[in-house]
Order: sequence, then C-alpha cells, then structure tokens
Amino acid sequence: MTDPLSLAPILSPDDRPTPLFADPDLTHEQRYDAFVEHVHGGQKVEARDWMPDEYRTSVLRFVEMHANSELMGVLPEREWIMRAPTLKRKLALTAKVQDECGHAQLLYRVAEDLGKTREQMYQDLLDGKTKFHNVFHYPTKSWGDVGIIAWLVDAAAIVAQQALRDSSYGPYARTMKKICWEESVHIMHGRDVVVTMMNGSQAQRDMAQEALDRWWGPLMQMHGPRTDPAKDRDLFWRIKEKTGEQLRQEFLSTYVPRLWEVGLYPPDKELKLDEASGEWRYTEPDWQELRTVVTGHGPKSQERLDFRRLHHDQTAWVRQTILATPAPA
Amino acid sequence: MTTETRRPTRQLIQPDLPEFDSSGLDPQLRAAIADLLLTMADDEFVIGFRDSEWTGIAPMLEEDVAFSSLAQDEIGHARLLYELRAALTGEDPDRLAFHRQPNEYRHARLLDQPRQSWGFTITRRWLYDTADSVRLAGLARSSFAPLADVVGKIRREERYHLMHLDAWLERLGTHHGKPRGKLLSALKQLSPVATSVFAPLPGEEMLVAAGVLSAPMADLAARWRSEANARLCALNLRPIADGVPAADGRDHATPHESFVWLWNEFTSVAQLEEGVEW
Repeated sequence: MTDPLSLAPILSPDDRPTPLFADPDLTHEQRYDAFVEHVHGGQKVEARDWMPDEYRTSVLRFVEMHANSELMGVLPEREWIMRAPTLKRKLALTAKVQDECGHAQLLYRVAEDLGKTREQMYQDLLDGKTKFHNVFHYPTKSWGDVGIIAWLVDAAAIVAQQALRDSSYGPYARTMKKICWEESVHIMHGRDVVVTMMNGSQAQRDMAQEALDRWWGPLMQMHGPRTDPAKDRDLFWRIKEKTGEQLRQEFLSTYVPRLWEVGLYPPDKELKLDEASGEWRYTEPDWQELRTVVTGHGPKSQERLDFRRLHHDQTAWVRQTILATPAPA
Repeated sequence: MTTETRRPTRQLIQPDLPEFDSSGLDPQLRAAIADLLLTMADDEFVIGFRDSEWTGIAPMLEEDVAFSSLAQDEIGHARLLYELRAALTGEDPDRLAFHRQPNEYRHARLLDQPRQSWGFTITRRWLYDTADSVRLAGLARSSFAPLADVVGKIRREERYHLMHLDAWLERLGTHHGKPRGKLLSALKQLSPVATSVFAPLPGEEMLVAAGVLSAPMADLAARWRSEANARLCALNLRPIADGVPAADGRDHATPHESFVWLWNEFTSVAQLEEGVEW
C-alpha cells in the first residue's frame, strides 16, 4: 500500500532542469528524438511541455478512457448505497463511491490540460464515441456483487494503476498515487464484505460464490488480449509500463490464493499455477464478448448511458446557473 | 482567532461515543431522552439516505463529492445517536436502524418525500439544516453530559453543511427564471411541513425541567422561524408562515409511500436472513 506521506511533491516547471526538447531552435525531428530519449530515460513530461501530437493524443485517449471508467463505475455500485445493510457498510460504501466520483473529477482535470474540455468528454461518452471499462457494462444482482466488485474489480484495476504511477506523463503519475491509495482502502472494504459473508450462513456463502461466478469472465477479460509489446505505442511512450498479460498474471498470483483461502473458487477448471514457468494457466477468455461489451453492446451498456443522459439533461439548468454571471447583490 | 485546538471533524468507522454511567437516571427521564434521541437519529438517518441518492448523478462531479460527504456525515451522526440511545435502552444500533416497521420510524415529515429536483433538494436541506442547527443549539449545554458531548461533535460538521447549503440557496435564489422558480415552488410545498422537525415530544416538559433540552420545541420552532425568515426575506424569498408545530409531525401511522419505498430499499439486504452479520 502507498504511504500517502511518501507522495512526491508537485514540482513547478521552474524547479526542474529544462528538458532538451524544449529548445524551440531545434528542428521538429531533433525535438522529437530528444523527447523520445527523455521519456525512455524515465523522465516526466509536464502539462505545459512541448510534446509530439501522437503523445498528446495517446495520453488524452488513455486518461479519458480511465476517467470515463471511474464515472461509469459509479453506477453499478451506486444502486447498493440505498441497500447497504448496516450503518458501517452504509458509511463505507458511500465513501467508496464518493472516491470514484472524486477520481473521475481528478482524471478529467488531467485530461482537460491536454486540450479537450470536460463537457466535450462527457458528451462523447454519452454519445457512445468514447469507451469505458468492460466490467462496468454488467448488472449487479446481490450484496455479494458489492463485495466482489470492491475486492476483485478494484484489485484488478489497482494492478494496472500501480504501474501507472510510473507513467511518463507527470500529472497522471501523481494523480495515480492518490487514486491507488484510495483504491487500496476499497479492496480492504470489499474483502471485509466478502469475508463476513463467507463466515456467515450457507446462503451468504452461496451468494458470494454466485457473484464470483458471474464476475470471473469479465475480470479475466479486463486487461485485454495478449499483444505484441513491440507494437504497443502506449508502452513505447511509457504512458503505461506493463502489458495486459503481465497485469493479468500479477492479479492471478496475488488474488487466486486469497480467494481459495476464504473458500471461494473461480469457475475455471483450467486455472492453475504452472510451477515450471511460474505462470498461471487459464481457459482463454472470451475476447469476442470483450469486443461486444466495450463497443456499447454489453448487458447494461445502453441502460447505464441512458441513465447518465437522463440525469445530465435534468440537471443541465443547474450547470447553466453556476456558469452564468451571478446577479448583482 | 480563538485558542481552541484543532480537532478532527470526522471519525467515520471508529465509534466515538463517550463511556458513561447512566444507572442513576430516573427511568421516566431516561425514556424521554431515549425518545428524543430516536427522533434525532431517524432524522439524520433518513436525510442521509436521501442525500446519498445523489452520489454519482449530481449536477457536477464536485457536487457528487460534496453531497456524498454530507450523506456520510448524517449517517455518522445517526450512528452516534442510535448508539447513545442503545446505551440507555440496551438495544442494538443496527437493529434500531434497519429492523423496525415503517410506521415505527420517528423522522420529521419534512423528510418523507423523495429527493426530486436539485432545487427541491437544496430547499429541503436548507430548511432541515437551519432547523437542526437551532435544535442542536438547544442541546449544546444539555445537563445530560453524553448528549452535550455528541452534539458538540455533530455541530462542528453541521456548520459546514449550512455554509454549503446557504451558498446554494443564494446562488439559485438570486438567479431569476428557472432556478428561482424551483426554489419558490419547493418553499411553497415544504414550508407547511418544515416545522415538523419541532413536533412536540411526549416527554418534553420533563426534558426541559431537567435541563436536558433548553426550551420547549414550540419555542425552538419560533426561534428557527425568525432566523430562517430573516435570511429568506433578505433573498426576497417566501417566508415560512407562523404557527405552532403540529402534534403529528413525526407520526407515521400511515407511512408516506416514498418512505415505504426507501424502507424497502434499505431493509432489502438487512432483512434477507435473520440473525446473520453483513
């Protein structure tokens, strides 16, 4: 877990040496080469830096998708805020969903710096032009889902997010430190919900296992199919540090033993650790399902977008009021 | 600046109810305090649920975060107040919160209706927060020390709620057209039931005589109306009409359909199976 006291301070552009690519007298090619060398040397890029168009577009697309996912990820859990069964759970779940809203806000701000307004990003999401993570296209059916989402969906996400703390784009890397800190608390909350159920009645244990059975497929798809690292431009630009398969292996290594420990079994007979290679073997995830879901054809994709559009429309007058010039006192 | 040392304003999970010995309390006074605590806890519990409905769908992300905080504060207050009551009666706080029938809740009728529009939500919260702040002031020097202590903790947070809601009231109330129209229609609808926060309590005389509560509810209602109306008039908004709080302001013998919906939601997991932990 990240110690919040260890978070790196935000340096102003004046407090770091001027990068080579900042020199306006260089040719475009020279600046481009210096920029590549800069990020490959582990250096950060800041919002006001010169950057190649491809870099700017790639970071924007990556962060925007992440922001959209935080925003849409609020909806499946939000339904359970009203159904939380104890005062303690009610507090914890409200705080967790609040964190996700806060993450969306932080990430949209990072993305805004790259040249696209929050309103435009919101509109593109509502119009189905941009995407959000596959796991948020599925329904929630029981309190078991609340535990499985907070524990495992957040765990699968944090595996990826921890690697993003080293992202070459400085504002994103710093934001991820805060987000990872909060996500690690969500994982504890989710695990506590699941462990409480596993220590309860048979009906509660069945509810948790049934939720795991439904979420396992989407969880295994979450990091995407294996790709050729040499062709992955996000890796080239050091926007991210690891491939999808590396992330999936990390997730399995940490969480499968923990699931077994509490008496939960992923619904995959092929799932086992190959001692020789140190890698987990598993049934090939359904990549067609992943493509169908993230292009807006998942079981809840359109319903959730409709729900967002409805509330966005209903509260438009409030935003107009706030953005208008206040009346004289 | 005062010399008051800075103290944490929020403690979410750790219970911060003081230890106390209530064995010497007169049984009738104990029952009256327990009843007062139940009304306050139910108010905070219900408004906390109403607020938390905005999480994820508020007009802007900043307000999602703000309303989630309000909701958590209110549920935290409800928890403290249920725990304080439970310490007097031997009940379980979660059973109090989640295992009563809809007609057994004692929240003010002001909180019965669904959240509706942002204008309605802001108006109701402002009315409730101003009323709650007068009620809390009437308990701040309570002779029942654990209550005074808990009220001190609650007031530190409620101050910020009031600032937030008052800023919204002013922003919407001074913007002609739809925003002001929404406030005016919500005020018209809610003003008649707003005094329900001060509905008379059965043991009220005893609470005042013992110094638990500083004044009868009707007096607190008058104080609140005068303070709230000063602010409403300054914004050229409809003042709250005179009148004593109705005796049935917390009576839910026939529960409001919106509260029944809410009750069905918040008990749906809690009442799945008897005797289990969640």
